[in-house]
Amino acid sequence: MSLVLKNISLPLSDFRLEVSAEVRSPIITVVFGPSGAGKTSLLDLVAGLRRPESAYIELGGGVLTDTANQIFVPTRRRGIGYVPQDLALFPHLSVGQNLLYGHKPGTTEPFAFDHIVDLLEIRGLIERGIGQLSGGEKQRVALARALLASPRLLLLDEPLANLDRQLKTKIIPYLARIRDEFRIPVLYVTHDRFETRSLADEIIILIRGRIVQSGPAQDVFRKPATLDVAELLAVGAV
Amino acid sequence: MSSTSLSRRRFIKTFSLGTLFSWILFAGSVLNAASVNVFAAASLTDALKDIAAGYEKQTGDKVVFNFGASSFLARQIEEGAPADIFFSADEAKMDGLDKKGLIQKDTRKSRLSNSLVIVVASEAGAAIKGPRDLASEKVKRLALAEPRTVPAGIYAKEYLQKQSLWSAVEAKVVPTENVRGALAAVEAGNAEAGIVYKTDAAISKKVKIAYEVPASDSPAISYPMALLKELKNANAAARFFKYLESEEAGRIFEKVGFTVRK
Amino acid sequence: MSSEEWQIVWFTAWVSALSTIVILPFGLALAWVLARFTWPGKSVVETLISLPLVMPPVATGLILLKLFGRRGPIGSFLHDTLHLDVVFTWRGVLIALGVMSFPLLVRSARVAFEEVSPRLEQIARTLGASDARVFFTVTAPLAMRGILGGMILSFARALGEFGATIMIAGNIPGQTSTLSLSIFQSVQLGQDADAFRLLGISTALAFVAVWTSEWLMRRKRTFK
Repeated sequence: MSLVLKNISLPLSDFRLEVSAEVRSPIITVVFGPSGAGKTSLLDLVAGLRRPESAYIELGGGVLTDTANQIFVPTRRRGIGYVPQDLALFPHLSVGQNLLYGHKPGTTEPFAFDHIVDLLEIRGLIERGIGQLSGGEKQRVALARALLASPRLLLLDEPLANLDRQLKTKIIPYLARIRDEFRIPVLYVTHDRFETRSLADEIIILIRGRIVQSGPAQDVFRKPATLDVAELLAVGAV
Repeated sequence: MSSTSLSRRRFIKTFSLGTLFSWILFAGSVLNAASVNVFAAASLTDALKDIAAGYEKQTGDKVVFNFGASSFLARQIEEGAPADIFFSADEAKMDGLDKKGLIQKDTRKSRLSNSLVIVVASEAGAAIKGPRDLASEKVKRLALAEPRTVPAGIYAKEYLQKQSLWSAVEAKVVPTENVRGALAAVEAGNAEAGIVYKTDAAISKKVKIAYEVPASDSPAISYPMALLKELKNANAAARFFKYLESEEAGRIFEKVGFTVRK
Repeated sequence: MSSEEWQIVWFTAWVSALSTIVILPFGLALAWVLARFTWPGKSVVETLISLPLVMPPVATGLILLKLFGRRGPIGSFLHDTLHLDVVFTWRGVLIALGVMSFPLLVRSARVAFEEVSPRLEQIARTLGASDARVFFTVTAPLAMRGILGGMILSFARALGEFGATIMIAGNIPGQTSTLSLSIFQSVQLGQDADAFRLLGISTALAFVAVWTSEWLMRRKRTFK
């Protein structure tokens, strides 16, 4: 199951987002770049929350967006899990209600309720209100909620952004577990080197709307294509 | 700055101020110029406007009208509204002001009379031949000026009571602010029939008279007029009042359909 | 207070409540659209909605009278096809109250919707919810306090409506007589005592309504 992005074009504030890429499973593809590079916009396009000027987006062989043929599948039918930067947990619902929002009863493994709840270790939180959760707990609940909807693709927008190093270290294994258990493509947006180093199987470097380099993580780190990339990754000069 | 331009500026300033001042004086005098405030029943609208137009041309005085239901106007006068002349559609409202000592009793005159008519829309109006038809299915809603307060409505109710029809039609009554409102309701088709003055029916092409109430059946309709005690401009008010009593004015009233009383 | 007066109070209360309920779906839909979208001509729509707030009520009443009178565009359809009369009936009162209080509902609801983060609605959609489900399970519950405040404000406005009501419905005793119309009538009749009694009730109702609305709006939860 892979996500195919062809000729995505979207005008942003003072540059254009222009991307073509393939995101495969079962790996984590990190979209790495400075803030304002268009990373969140890219995720919104894939999720169908924004319309591109032109694009061809296909997931697992099924077309989601095809501007040339005026095809646009609405968000709710894309089967894409999205954890945005602010997590967007429903504040008026309990943790349990949040989790079950997109979940169909009788869902089988690996998307079954008990499995995910135990995987992310949030069983004790189910009765609580959102306001009673710590930062790390909120993160895990948001991840669980997205997974419980049986997504075919997972989009994560800076999922660990507001956590300290200690907490990040705690949650990163959960993310690795997700990759291993669910075998779906994961598109992971971040500007943090530590997370990238820890989780990326493949990397896409996005600077001012363009892909400057992409490929297996090891290759990118070892051979950054430009000075900018090298600086971003904080590796030694080429 | 040279002395010539300085004195020029001073001249301009003085000139402008002087002009402004004289305009204010002039405006003040215009405002104080003879204007007469007349509070009159709505049914008198067209006749009085005609009369005033001629009067203003002749004398240069200005007549300012406030037309409405006599009950409403009387109430305004009681509360201190600035009226010089009150021209009511029934004696009761004038009595009310008299009791409160607001009118110059010796000027009071019962000037006009009117007659009641039943009107229907001129196009596709209900087929009304007489008062009995008002109680029938043909009339779902009957427009009257508010029968509790407005003279036209009070007269209409008295008439219907004398004809023993009031209880039959009471539930159908749509009370309006003043008699012209009843007319408008019939014009617009929102009421199948209405009872208004003959003079009102005359001004509207959109209604036709279905039945004219004969004087023998009608309650005594009387339009008294009087000068009020508190006058802004006694001379101008008395002048116009005298004109209203004149033959000339009487002719205009009769042209519109009122009966002039002697 | 006579039984007639109580009848007037009761009539005023229930027709005001009904008018608020009737405008609710339209008001909420419009408020949501105004909160979430922009389009060329949006300001025209906003201005039209605000007109009853700014125009003299009798002017609005006159427009309604022309529209819903038996010869008017809407009125003739209702009369001929559905055998329904609006002018000079309680339905006329309902329409007058609804139109006059509509802008207040839309304004309050719009502010309430604007305070619900669109991100929440978007995420709900990624979780598979239809637009209707998103509205009823996410948007509306979070905007509820503002919506309720708007409803109460509308109700209070409807309670006090006079100008448009007297134009389209008149003051027919037992049929279209509301509190405000009765106060006016009593003054006309010189029955000041009655007028002041009704005035007292009217003021008390309005006070309670507005106070409740303010209290609800103040207790806004801040969710993001």
